[in-house]
Amino acid sequence: MEVDRELVEAAQAGDRWALEELVRRTHRSVYTCALRLVGNPDDAADVTQDVYLRVVRKLGGFRHEASFATWLNRVTTNVAMSSLKRRTRRIAVEGAMVPLETRDPAPDPSERAEAVLLARRLEKLVAGLPEGQRQVLVLRDVYGQSTDEVATAMGLTPGAVKVRLFRARERLKAELGATEGGPCQGQVVNLAGRRRASGRRS
Amino acid sequence: MMGCHDIRQLLPARLEELTPLEARARALHVAGCARCAAEAASYSRLVQTLATMANLEATPPDGTVERILVAIGRRRVRATDPRVMVAAGAGGALVATVMVARALRQRRRVPAAAAPGRARAALPSVVSAGQTAVLARLK
Repeated sequence: MEVDRELVEAAQAGDRWALEELVRRTHRSVYTCALRLVGNPDDAADVTQDVYLRVVRKLGGFRHEASFATWLNRVTTNVAMSSLKRRTRRIAVEGAMVPLETRDPAPDPSERAEAVLLARRLEKLVAGLPEGQRQVLVLRDVYGQSTDEVATAMGLTPGAVKVRLFRARERLKAELGATEGGPCQGQVVNLAGRRRASGRRS
Repeated sequence: MMGCHDIRQLLPARLEELTPLEARARALHVAGCARCAAEAASYSRLVQTLATMANLEATPPDGTVERILVAIGRRRVRATDPRVMVAAGAGGALVATVMVARALRQRRRVPAAAAPGRARAALPSVVSAGQTAVLARLK
């Protein structure tokens, strides 16, 4: 998610065009994060809308101490967690994830195809984790929140977060290895190496 | 020194998720155990790959942006921006004035003998003095 500071400041100053542009540039990332946390498209769409209602209320208080993307991710996390607390009926996650597209595709078509293939398999495996494990894994490993931040967002102790996190990684590594018919190093190694080599932001 | 069974429970952790004591024990063990070293490397690569998922995006349902913009617009008009409320009110008054003026013109096209005084009677009673002045300029 690339957002110019000038655009954020214009939106903070009341520029409606800037606010709309902010929504257009960021809503896919917000929706994706929400989808990973709540586990189904309908709830994710509701969460996405609620996120921007909260953004409008809170944007004036954003001081640029963190990046806008980080701030927006925290807002999304909080709204999604509040939504899950209100939700009484649990909806099966299996098969609910929609196909993902690469926002920053690799220039080489074969590399891009490989990245998309791996991403879809990983997304499916992550989506299949138990809800509590999926949420800590997504927040910690995908979005880079600290263990303490995840604990606060989820109302858990840091120790409980680590237990869920380690179990999620164990399960994911085992399942990723199983789907490839062997150890999970293969494509995981290649993708990570290429990302680093090309200087792309992870 | 801790054995493989104990160390394996620490392998899924990132370094910063371990206590200094755990981190040291893991490092010492992994340095001398190829199997645990391979496991640790495998977890490290898994975490690196998970981080790349932040660059992937799902496609929201059609109309998501429009729904968000409508929601934001309603919220701003209702609660956060008095200028928008004033603008919305002024805009509404202008639209009402123009509509009344058009209705008035249509009435005036009717022959006066067929409907004497009908145009004036068609004016709503809520038209203000200011709006009447605007109407006078439009005539």
